[in-house]
Amino acid sequence: MRAFFTQLTITAITLLAIALPGFCGSLDDYYLNAFSEQPAGSAVQKAVLFQTAAPGEQAQCGTPLKHGLSRDWNRLEAATQKVLAKQLAAPVLSGDKKDVTSLTSPSGKFLIHYTTAGVDAVPSISWVQTVAQTFDDVAAAYSARGWRLAPTPSVAPYDVYLRELATQRLYGQTTSNQQLASAGFANAYGSYMEIDNNFTDSIYTGANGGPFSPTQSLQITAAHEYHHAIQYGYNYYFDIWYAEATSTWMEDELYDSVNQLYNYLPAWFSNSTKALDQTVGSDATSSGAGYSRWIFNRYLAEQHGIDTVRAAWEKLAGQSNNGADVVMAPVLDSLLATTYNSSLGSEVFGFAKRVYTGAWGSGAASHPQDLNLIHPYTATATLSNYPASLTSTLNHYSFAFYTFTPSASVSALSIAVNKTSGISTALFKKTSGTITEIAANSSGNYSVAGFSSLNAASDEVVLVVVNKSSTDGHQAAFSTNGSAAAVSEPSSTPSTSGGSGGGGCFIATAAYGSYLHPQVQLLRDFRDRQLLTNAPGRAFVALYYRFSPPLADFIAQHESVRAVTRVALTPLLFTVIHPIAAGLIAIMLLGSAYLSVRRRILVQTAVGNLVAIRAKM
Amino acid sequence: MSKSIYFLFIILACIALAVPATAIGTRPVDAWSYYHFDGTGFTSGPSADSTPSFAVRERVRPVLLLSLTSNISPTALPEGSGVVAGICYIRTAGGKLEGGAGSGYAPYPRVPLLISSGGKSFVTVQTDEQGYFIVVLPAGKYSIGSGPTTAEIVVDQGITTLIPLQAGKRMVD
Repeated sequence: MRAFFTQLTITAITLLAIALPGFCGSLDDYYLNAFSEQPAGSAVQKAVLFQTAAPGEQAQCGTPLKHGLSRDWNRLEAATQKVLAKQLAAPVLSGDKKDVTSLTSPSGKFLIHYTTAGVDAVPSISWVQTVAQTFDDVAAAYSARGWRLAPTPSVAPYDVYLRELATQRLYGQTTSNQQLASAGFANAYGSYMEIDNNFTDSIYTGANGGPFSPTQSLQITAAHEYHHAIQYGYNYYFDIWYAEATSTWMEDELYDSVNQLYNYLPAWFSNSTKALDQTVGSDATSSGAGYSRWIFNRYLAEQHGIDTVRAAWEKLAGQSNNGADVVMAPVLDSLLATTYNSSLGSEVFGFAKRVYTGAWGSGAASHPQDLNLIHPYTATATLSNYPASLTSTLNHYSFAFYTFTPSASVSALSIAVNKTSGISTALFKKTSGTITEIAANSSGNYSVAGFSSLNAASDEVVLVVVNKSSTDGHQAAFSTNGSAAAVSEPSSTPSTSGGSGGGGCFIATAAYGSYLHPQVQLLRDFRDRQLLTNAPGRAFVALYYRFSPPLADFIAQHESVRAVTRVALTPLLFTVIHPIAAGLIAIMLLGSAYLSVRRRILVQTAVGNLVAIRAKM
Repeated sequence: MSKSIYFLFIILACIALAVPATAIGTRPVDAWSYYHFDGTGFTSGPSADSTPSFAVRERVRPVLLLSLTSNISPTALPEGSGVVAGICYIRTAGGKLEGGAGSGYAPYPRVPLLISSGGKSFVTVQTDEQGYFIVVLPAGKYSIGSGPTTAEIVVDQGITTLIPLQAGKRMVD
């Protein structure tokens, strides 16, 4: 009897073991269905059906479904794991399973996850519908402007979670979740988004520049966050300052009447000596980092057209930086140089002058009704005791304003300027509200006639000093007594180490004078894409970086050597740009050399033979 | 000074030098070292706040400590094996409202991490609720994670390798 039960148990276990794999598919289907990850068509049909809310339910921790997924993870097929991986990290809304549901937007592009119970509960189903419609509007607007919409796996709807975020003092957040590479977008990532569940808290309605209605907060949040989702789709390794600058700029492009973004400007203008690409830290809104830089995008759009910003993201799409974020400044500089015959430094200079003159909207006439919302410039220093002298040291891509208050004792204001190579200056005179730019003389100094007759209360003279370079520490010294102090060039190492993890091409930088020169960028790309991808290439690069800096220093100090180096680099650049043509030329040269040597040998042999014949004769 | 006293002095001096030398020499093996994640990498020393720290010791499985304790029970590693431990995290940045700063990191909990060796899947581990993981592996070369965030690691016998795995980016506004 005992043996019978033992055999029965073994048989049962064996049958169970054999049967288990057969159930694996069921488990996979269960979770795929539960998370609406079946083919797009069926998911849409299922999601448009509303689930009836169950008001009054007590909030419970977490969603059992996700906990079940976590528990059963290792039993799922690899393909199922790939699809559902995002669910493990996705937000868990409050309430029980029956309270948590989703709504597909009318276009089918968005899946709005919400709950009707607990802290994350939405105010009404109609609010969820408003959210869905708003995201559809935002996607349609981006699509119409030529942006590539955020990628999703198998063209599934984009996930938006409505959560209580007011306690964290957040409008929303967008998180990458999985790589979704495609042609031309090797570093594209998918993402999901969380936004506040109702935007009714006073931190939103009473935000600086308010009041703002919940719908307005929803609109700018949808525009802002969905652009981050788009950014992940262009290149996961985007530079955060420019991501925030672009998302914020887009708020106004899509919802022009909300105008919350103008409130970020004073923080930048009062910290204008910080770099354009200042790191977005915990004090972003007070330091002006990132968000306030949206207006630089408006400047670029007014100068070169609204597609300039999208072109910058398209250029970024093809860039990589050995697993680190791609520094945006060189990308912008390269785009401006190749497409718009400009440079980032020139645009920063023009922007700084625009900040002072306030001549926004001229030309492109963008947002004319909001010009009065743009904060005026902030003086870095105001000088009223003469003679006055000052030395300004600036971070890369930054600017400063020095205001000269009219004085009855100074009839004509003379400003002598000494500056390092990365600095540009401009001088403006404001008289009775009219601003005129005063040109510098051939020595780079300025003279303002009639200074004493200006109204000290309303008129002024302002010197704009801009570091147009990518290097910190450029200086401008100026004085009203005729001789400015000496200035010294900063170290040649650019502050933005963009484009690569290994630094710049020293010799090429020295030869072309700028880390941002297109030819130098070309060589950096060649290094990153061709040399650093294989062991011999990496060894060569390591050797190059070991020995080239002293040589580069020597080249940089001698203009003639720089010219010779540029000539010497030309074949290399030609080879990088036209490798096939260079290969053919090399083959032809080798061939002709071979023929020449062969001919010489034949001639020598013939001569030798003649000599031998003559000797015999 | 007599020869015997001189000889005794020499012996005492040798002992005085040998004791600390022995203590220093044995400390890395017998004592726990502490490391914590600071948002970008692991730094030595226990965490100053409430975030966990790893207690690490040679030839012993590391221990993830939620709070510092003097009583850690060592678990010997199997012969020929080492450890890879670390955190999987999402880098966060931004903050439109004062106090809503997202500059730092968020742990990536319950995420499966594929560990491969020689191009073949070796094992999949899952991070805990705070994004941490510990896995004992035979000594050798491995890759951990997937996609561009993959880390290449070398597991040495008896040694714990701590790695931070940035698995994502979060724009906080």
